[in-house]
Amino acid sequence: MAATNHPHDRGEEPASPEGAEPDARFTFANERTFLAWQRTALAFVVAGLAIVQLLPPFPGVPWGRHVLGVPLIALGGVIAVSGFRQWQRSQQSLRRQEPLPRSVLPQILAVTITAMAIVAAIVLLVSAILRH
Amino acid sequence: MAPPEDLEDLDPGRARERTGLAWTRTAIAFGAVGAAVLKTNIAAGLTVVGLSVVIWTVSRFFPDPAGSDVRPRQLLLVTMTVVAVALVALAVVLLGHPSSGVHAPKG
Repeated sequence: MAATNHPHDRGEEPASPEGAEPDARFTFANERTFLAWQRTALAFVVAGLAIVQLLPPFPGVPWGRHVLGVPLIALGGVIAVSGFRQWQRSQQSLRRQEPLPRSVLPQILAVTITAMAIVAAIVLLVSAILRH
Repeated sequence: MAPPEDLEDLDPGRARERTGLAWTRTAIAFGAVGAAVLKTNIAAGLTVVGLSVVIWTVSRFFPDPAGSDVRPRQLLLVTMTVVAVALVALAVVLLGHPSSGVHAPKG
């Protein structure tokens, strides 16, 4: 995670060849990981969309569906872009035969799912209280 | 030309085949999202279903990521497509008519 001032970290092709072409299996595996993150991002988008469009409104909490759905959709976009950045960084490390960079994506995912669970519980509780 | 003695020589670890399948799953995921959006907004849904065709085409017509520095532009295209879908979804959610849900109670 620590930022480095390595001149090659800017994503530019250096004048001299940078490292060796990695084993094709690693390149393929990196690409599959990228695709898996894109599907995860899509799942977030469709989950947010489904919450707003398919769920009936929470009684007494008219904003409940948007509070749950909009952050999920926005996060889907963030995960898509982060997944691409991660693929770029991993590919650079593979070429230089360096250790793979640590990904923040699993942390983002865990924190978000936890936060959304808490928010969902709060919305349901508030709705139940206002209903009675 | 004699066939290769070992399939591993052609496709080590079946990495190529597995990656092809991953592309197919991704295109199917786009199609599913498009179908979901179709329910609420036909134009946006058709756009997303069209994007799934784009993803599938990208994987078909540029089938070999091995060698050189793998197709960053194609992967960037996939990324931008997901971001576009997210923006369409946000627009549908924020600007569309408030939905009463699929199982809204009557009356």
